[in-house]
Amino acid sequence: MRTMPLAATAVLAVSALTLSGCSLTPGASTGQQSTGPVSTALPSGHVTLTLAMSTGPDMASELIAAYEHLHPNVTIKRQYTSFSDYKQNIKLNLSSDKAPDIAQFNAGAMQSLIPAGLLVNLDPYAKAYHWSDQFPADGLEQVTAEKNGKTFGKGSLYAVPAGMSVTGVFYNKSLMKKAGVTRQPATLDEFASDLAKAKAAGQTPLSVGALDNGALHLWAAVLGKEMSGKQYRQWVYGQPGGDITTAAPKAATDRIAKWAKQGYIPDWANGTGQVDAAARFTEGQTTYLVSGSWAAVDIAKGLGDKAGFFLLPPTQAEGPAVANGSSVAYAVSSKSKHPEVAANFLNFLSSPTAAKIVAKGGFMPVNTQSIPKQSGLLGDLSGGYQQVVKDNGLLQFPDAASPDMLPILQSGLQSVIIQRKSTKDFLTSLQDAWSHSHGK
Amino acid sequence: MASETLTTNMSTEEKRPKRLPSATVARHRHRPRRTSRWRGWLYVLPAFAVYLAFVILPGLQALYLSFWHWDGVGPATPAGLDNYTQVLSDPQLRSSIAHAALLILFFAGLPIILGLLMAAVLARHERRGSTFFKTLFFLPHVVPLVAVGITWRWMYADNGVINSWLRAIGLESVTRAWLGDFTFALPAVGLIGTWALSGLCMVLFLSGAQKIDPSLYEAARLDGAGAVREFFAVTLPGLRGEIRVAMTVTVIAALASFDIVYVTTLGGPGDTTTVPSLLIYRLAFSVGKVGQASALGIVLTLLIGLAVILINRFVRTQES
Repeated sequence: MRTMPLAATAVLAVSALTLSGCSLTPGASTGQQSTGPVSTALPSGHVTLTLAMSTGPDMASELIAAYEHLHPNVTIKRQYTSFSDYKQNIKLNLSSDKAPDIAQFNAGAMQSLIPAGLLVNLDPYAKAYHWSDQFPADGLEQVTAEKNGKTFGKGSLYAVPAGMSVTGVFYNKSLMKKAGVTRQPATLDEFASDLAKAKAAGQTPLSVGALDNGALHLWAAVLGKEMSGKQYRQWVYGQPGGDITTAAPKAATDRIAKWAKQGYIPDWANGTGQVDAAARFTEGQTTYLVSGSWAAVDIAKGLGDKAGFFLLPPTQAEGPAVANGSSVAYAVSSKSKHPEVAANFLNFLSSPTAAKIVAKGGFMPVNTQSIPKQSGLLGDLSGGYQQVVKDNGLLQFPDAASPDMLPILQSGLQSVIIQRKSTKDFLTSLQDAWSHSHGK
Repeated sequence: MASETLTTNMSTEEKRPKRLPSATVARHRHRPRRTSRWRGWLYVLPAFAVYLAFVILPGLQALYLSFWHWDGVGPATPAGLDNYTQVLSDPQLRSSIAHAALLILFFAGLPIILGLLMAAVLARHERRGSTFFKTLFFLPHVVPLVAVGITWRWMYADNGVINSWLRAIGLESVTRAWLGDFTFALPAVGLIGTWALSGLCMVLFLSGAQKIDPSLYEAARLDGAGAVREFFAVTLPGLRGEIRVAMTVTVIAALASFDIVYVTTLGGPGDTTTVPSLLIYRLAFSVGKVGQASALGIVLTLLIGLAVILINRFVRTQES
């Protein structure tokens, strides 16, 4: 029990032995890629597919049911793995003889799966189905990768998003009013002065769960305002020349350090997880919370009409709508006997029917025209999301920049918000990890 | 777990040479000796097969993998000693070992002292309800560490129960979000281990104390020894074997600690609670460097092995 990692390594080792058969070299390259034109026609006989996923099992069930209703000759079986185990599991799963046909995309696993040829290059299907017209460009970009599986944003399409997430600022209307803030901020500086007012009114301005991902969301949101979209994408996608040590990220990090120093970020931040931080906001203990669409349903339940949502404002008024967000996306196994059916299922994800199911599952639908009309907090959220998609401003989360980035970001920001680490040292540590993975 | 059985085996082994031959000879006097020797192996076989399949072979595989660059899926390339040089030159490894070493104080030192104290109090006179208390103190060891971690995470929160107690006794000024404090996070994590392991030590020591010849206590009392004198003259020397087992188990728990840290702090704030197992987990499952993770696993196993040897040597010399 207490030696779990060793045991886990051991299990991994045994699986490796099984995988590699009798060969003495661990691992084995497998997938074969077919190129050339593809068909969008479905076979007439009965087809059974397997779908592996880690997020929203209920949503996937409903999507499958709706798809099977449209295509009675297709049966899709589900295979669920909890999120924390999924990344390792999917690597072994896709390289096994009984690989699922469709698998939920996991950016971290790509650097192994794509070079091993285990995923279908979906470019021909994208062309045949005209996916670039039906899915948000930012959503497709995040699942587009080069052959090395490390550089994203260009290369070939390896998955298709079913739904997106988007982050921004949740606010408590009555606390905001008590603090004397009467309008939504138009710039970052205005937001900072609102935080100051909340602080002066004796409130805890920001709920930040820096023990895990809370500070990351706050920092990433500010970073997306300071850096240009091009600069940010270059870095987060691991493209040549990506650099997080320039003036813009410095300004963003300085802002976070300053907000912490001025007491806008509470001193309990480092000892509180993001789920607990969101709960405190929902209980009315804090004025603002920077988090994502996934938290919205619980907040709406807890705060009702008192809760609102806006996108973190840009540095200059009227700037483009920018927010962090990622997707729940599905990829096709190159071992699938029916990739054309799998691709047809992916195509179904952009339909209005799918949009309704995805919206219910707590994600933002890829088909922005078919977002169901919602009021209150959820309406604020989908409105903000539509703006971001229109402005091409959806940015991948910064921990995707390299496989070891997450703990470096978490521990680094913990140090930044208690003024223990300088902005420069923090950004240098990020860039070191980046260079280690992507080269100079 | 494995090492736990290993140490208990060790202590029974010492007695085996005296008992086993006479017993077998008595029972199977008419059979040739060779068959009974084989039969002994037969008894061991099921346990050994499980041990071989789930401990020895995977261990050897990890050793083998540590000489490869491998991401867990694709083809691997030979690495020679690269993984070891990289792992050993990582400054994070050194600090994580230092953290694990401090955890030994909390996982092994405090529980053994507390266990001895409780044993001293409870062992002298069997009181009514002592089984109840034994069960009660042992409970923390039964609860899954993940649940323990989540509970303590809430208790340590700035609005958690620990801070309300501190406020209640007028210590408002020292309250803080304990797990988010760069100075106190590691001791806070360590105290969770103290809580979880003290009961185990106590039960071990209590059952050990029951084996001590009551006439020794009687003699000590006749000589006018008080409770303290009695403890040092009779109880403590009588418990040496149990202390050795307790020390082995708890020191391993400290050096290989993972679940508590993973659930409570993820190694933060900063890197103040990072432990070697957490680094192994990150290397294998986040970064996809299975070879390096295996190398670190081997290094950690050697380190733990060394600690176990030292403990057994140290406590044994005192005995003789």
